[in-house]
Amino acid sequence: MLLNVQSAGCKKIILIMLLAYVLLFLNAGGVSAHGVELEFTERSTVEVTARYDSGDPMAGAQVAVFAPGSPAEPWLTGVCDSSGRFFFVPDPAIPGLWEVQVRLAGHGGLIRIELAEGNIEPSRSTGFSGLQILIMAAAVIWGFVGTALFYSRKRA
Amino acid sequence: MGKVGLLFLVSLLLLALFIPVGCAVETPENDSPDEDEIIEDSVESGILIINANGEEFIREGFTSKDGWDLSFDQAYVTVGNIKAYQSDPPYDTDQGWDIEYNTMMEVSGIYNANLADPASDPYQLAVLADVPAGHYNAISWQMLRAADGPSEGYSLFLTGQAEKDGVIIDFTLGIEQEVAYLGGDYVGDERKGIVTSGGTADLEMTFHFDHLFGDGDEDIDDPLNLGALGFEPLAALAVDGVVQADFATLSETLNSDHYALLVAVLTHLAHVGEGHCLAEFIN
Repeated sequence: MLLNVQSAGCKKIILIMLLAYVLLFLNAGGVSAHGVELEFTERSTVEVTARYDSGDPMAGAQVAVFAPGSPAEPWLTGVCDSSGRFFFVPDPAIPGLWEVQVRLAGHGGLIRIELAEGNIEPSRSTGFSGLQILIMAAAVIWGFVGTALFYSRKRA
Repeated sequence: MGKVGLLFLVSLLLLALFIPVGCAVETPENDSPDEDEIIEDSVESGILIINANGEEFIREGFTSKDGWDLSFDQAYVTVGNIKAYQSDPPYDTDQGWDIEYNTMMEVSGIYNANLADPASDPYQLAVLADVPAGHYNAISWQMLRAADGPSEGYSLFLTGQAEKDGVIIDFTLGIEQEVAYLGGDYVGDERKGIVTSGGTADLEMTFHFDHLFGDGDEDIDDPLNLGALGFEPLAALAVDGVVQADFATLSETLNSDHYALLVAVLTHLAHVGEGHCLAEFIN
């Protein structure tokens, strides 16, 4: 009889676990029509600073970025900020010699930036550290365990 | 197996499900550059044109930093020992005169170009056929004294008129100093020197005459104007509305500050588009 009671308790536990799995996979599938998914990617940013020989910043200078292997067509164009700075994120799939041309009112220059594949290798991240992910996983697991214990307790 | 043991196993199962998710968070991409975009092809050949350009300043005239309206009848530069390079690593003037290259094309002959001619937009110096394809990203040349022609004896020869407040001065300036220049990649609206198989590209030596006289459209404190001689020091040498001087004469008649500016201007007169060149006096 006691054995039968324990078997019934185990069935409850298994049912609860199955239900939990279903809920878990439904959530992972993103079925909510109003859900928002935020992601970010860490990538190396290149900062170019353009100054005249006098040290004055080339504020508003025109910038053209050329990717390795494509010197004729700019990969990106833009404008220096008031401090003569320009930021861009090179495509990590194109390692090699990147060229940045800066021009303003008859003055100009070109700088080359060697980007090795390892230096610009991208990474995808949820925004949580590995430790945070482990703690969250453990909390979820023990939540299931606690629930299972609650329903399988001996009734007075 | 007891209840606790079963729960332990279930927990392990769940943990096993989560661990792969955690490991999949950081996944390096394995893309490679599109090799079709790489234009290097040392076997194929194309055409490379060598040009000289004095820009609109010299063709159309301009106002100097000190307010003289300048127009030019002649602006002769004489250039020779022209070499075009596929430098590797790409040449930068910070390297000094040491340039490493895979391919170098040498242009024979000495060329006398009137950059003030409205048709000199730009002035075509030479056409090199069957040059190896690739990116010619550096050029060197020498500004030499002309052996004959209107500018005989001078490497740079300017004639024209200057006008300010009703005063008109006819000027003739001859610079006999010879200068060697070495520049890297052209800096401008478009890239130059990229020869594709069967294609045509050009390289340009660009002469910035606003560096000599300054630019009245810019602030007087603009770095360009601070480094320019202007026209006023030359106007002060006028006799009966005429200034006629050469480099040797100017070394004696200009004050030391103005002469130092003139000397410095000759080292940054030539560019590759808007990119600066390395320069040194020769001979």
